[in-house]
Amino acid sequence: MKKPWDPSHIRPVAHSVLEGETVPALFWNAVAQRGAEVWMRQKELGLWRSWSWARTGEAVREIAGGLIALGFQPRDTASILSNTVVEWVLADLAVLSCGGVSNGIYPTDAPPQVQFLCEDSNTAILFVEDDEQLDKALEVRERLPGLRRIVVFDMDGLRDLHDPLVISLAELRHLGRDYNARHPAAVEARVDEVQPDDLAILVYTSGTTGRPKGAMHSHRGIVYTVRGYNTLIARTQADECMCFLPLCHIAERLGGEYFSLYTGARLNFVENPETVPENVREIQPTVLTAVPRVWEKFYSGVTIALKEAGRLQQAAYGWAIGVGGRVARKVLAGQPVGPLLKLHFAAADLLVLANVRKLIGIDRARFLVTGAAPISPELVRWYLALGVPMLEVWGMTETCGAATGMPPTRIKPGSIGPAARYNEVRIEAKTGELQVRGPNVFMGYLNQPRKTAEAFTEDGWLRTGDVGAVDADGFFRITDRMKDIIITAGGKNITPSEFENELKFSPYITDAVVIGDRRPYLTAIVMIDQENVEKYAQDHDVPFSNYASLTRAPEVQALIQSEIDRVNRKVARVEQVKRFFLLDTQLSAEDEELTPTMKLKRKLVQQKYAPQIEAMYA
Amino acid sequence: MSANPPAVSDLPVLRLSNVESAYGPIKAIRGVSLQVRRGEIATVLGANGAGKTTILKTISGILDPRKGSIAFKGEDITARDPAWIVQEGLCHVPEGREVFPLLSVRENLLMGAYTRRDRDGVARDLELVHGYFPVLRERAAQEAGLLSGGQQQMLAIARALMAAPHLMLLDEPSLGLSPKLTREIFEIVVRINRERGTTILLVEQNAAMALATADYGYVLENGRIVMEDTCTRLRQKEDIREFYLGLKEAGVRGERRWKKKKTWR
Repeated sequence: MKKPWDPSHIRPVAHSVLEGETVPALFWNAVAQRGAEVWMRQKELGLWRSWSWARTGEAVREIAGGLIALGFQPRDTASILSNTVVEWVLADLAVLSCGGVSNGIYPTDAPPQVQFLCEDSNTAILFVEDDEQLDKALEVRERLPGLRRIVVFDMDGLRDLHDPLVISLAELRHLGRDYNARHPAAVEARVDEVQPDDLAILVYTSGTTGRPKGAMHSHRGIVYTVRGYNTLIARTQADECMCFLPLCHIAERLGGEYFSLYTGARLNFVENPETVPENVREIQPTVLTAVPRVWEKFYSGVTIALKEAGRLQQAAYGWAIGVGGRVARKVLAGQPVGPLLKLHFAAADLLVLANVRKLIGIDRARFLVTGAAPISPELVRWYLALGVPMLEVWGMTETCGAATGMPPTRIKPGSIGPAARYNEVRIEAKTGELQVRGPNVFMGYLNQPRKTAEAFTEDGWLRTGDVGAVDADGFFRITDRMKDIIITAGGKNITPSEFENELKFSPYITDAVVIGDRRPYLTAIVMIDQENVEKYAQDHDVPFSNYASLTRAPEVQALIQSEIDRVNRKVARVEQVKRFFLLDTQLSAEDEELTPTMKLKRKLVQQKYAPQIEAMYA
Repeated sequence: MSANPPAVSDLPVLRLSNVESAYGPIKAIRGVSLQVRRGEIATVLGANGAGKTTILKTISGILDPRKGSIAFKGEDITARDPAWIVQEGLCHVPEGREVFPLLSVRENLLMGAYTRRDRDGVARDLELVHGYFPVLRERAAQEAGLLSGGQQQMLAIARALMAAPHLMLLDEPSLGLSPKLTREIFEIVVRINRERGTTILLVEQNAAMALATADYGYVLENGRIVMEDTCTRLRQKEDIREFYLGLKEAGVRGERRWKKKKTWR
């Protein structure tokens, strides 16, 4: 049974659990210490296969040997263009073990973006997942003279390919096996050479404006940060985690791969991005880190399932979540939960809440971590009512992930928590910008000294670009991105993200962009949740054929209007959204309008849909 | 963004709104809305198991929908008795022909006219179908089960025509036929449509053939319509070309195995 009033199972771990001052040093110490224990699992042909530390070490050693045999030098860069799979981690650790620099490329990127990222990072070796990703690289190979070899993880469909540039991961491992047999100490020597202050990884920021910038992180920064994470969102070797966000994103790279490398928590890789819900249900992770979009999806999944359920089930859920809600309110207010309420909760948990948690896949979860985008406080309360505390962290690529985090003992929904104890966070008085200082802050942007200089204040604090406030307890609250703040024609400052986040809480709305800079009133571009709106249309006999006709149906327009009205009632008059339009194309991660984490790109959307926006002001 | 299909004429011969049908717990179509205009050939494309046949069965009353409504010539025919629907002028040519194997060709054709009382009209229509399918006259006395697959398909279409329908539902007439026979049958389908004015709703896996024959098309995936447009425009769409017509760029290596993501735009 869950006891949301008792956070004692989430204890910060201040001492080091693994020695090492570089990522490869940590890894090889972990292999030596944990040997036969399981580190990773991946589902292959319907079966979960385990990767012990020893087996991972063997593979990494072979890949590293292969890279050295191919002439890969310390400080050379290798990029990885793949979905989140075990091989991603193997390639990454091999590159770092060779003293190289590892860079991730989003598998949804198009060939020109792949070209830019390889060029900018001066990639010598490119790891690709399969034929699809390989084709992207081959399309731009002529323009990448520095690219020496492409390593393919999965050779399905490529048996007849004979290209001197291309080698399979199996061949590379074979090469490495031979090389290591002849030079038994070569990889170890490379590992020993790596210095904490060496550049370890590049993380390109998605760049909603202009070209992506490669944020540089040193080994020291990464190792410092994962040790720090253990004081914030501690996990142990007993924990089961999921690994499914893109590894090129700082959240999964640090919070997933490296944090788990440090703590020994198991990483379970999903089959593919579409099977996340099923895989989470199968694994029932004990800690789960995800972005708000995933939490919203789980929530709306439950909401929809409930609408299909019988009266009795609906009533039971209503009662149970009510009890959970009362417990959550007490917990959030810092008040003790009385014995009677505890008893009620035990019954609610037994009869309903445990089943809801199992349905989502969080029944074993000790706590949930959310980050990378703002989350609706309602959602945090809902998960707490289910019995699982959700801890919001806030940070960015440049801070190596989390820089603030919610303590489990004092959750304040809507806040991002106090500064993590491993760095300092302050609010600049004039602009209200949050600024960060600490060893976790990045080394700068690759090849962009000017952009790097602009990222820091004169006294050396990182400008995050987020505007916020801090309360008496030292808890921070983000109001918006600095550059997103809207100043209406009436001169009123408005922070669009608060409205947008409220909207996103609706099961029918996936994302929204509020517009109104130098305009007489606010409007919104709304992306509907296809599944749920289709269901709504179906239940209410709204005829539609394809996606576009769905968005045009008057009933759907009315539905979204009612969702907007709901939020409008909560805000001041000038902050109300007067008109909106629904995007009538179904967007996927490949589309330029979305970031790889499936958020609408504000600037791009505003430019692309300028005529529709103008129409709302006509 | 796709250009929107032209507004549908106010009174289509057939209109489905939000039709949902299931086999036990398995939903085969999950909310289909479509219309067929008078005198046109409309087609529903889709892979195996997309729900094409289920749509036709639901229209002709063999299967009752869980939800939604079907209107034929402005009248609600949802879940009505199939026999009654036939009399209203809606004929279903089922998948796999389903001719009566032990009856002669001629008897099969007369079965098609079972609901009719106008003997002169029946005789006229018998002449008409013999005009479309001369082979059926030659084999009039033969048991239908002894016909070749193509001939059986012709018989099935002819049998439906004998009911003098306003709307004919054709379920995969190309099934199991050679490309040449398929072409012949489709030519006759077009002739029937143009000469007799019979409205046709055609369900096909042979997308190239269906798109060349029909005026308006719907694409069905997993029980839902993902795309609709005139067939001329559908043929130009990238997703249709790649996933239904097998035309795709070969890619840099000269062969491409992986599939692009469908976007249905």
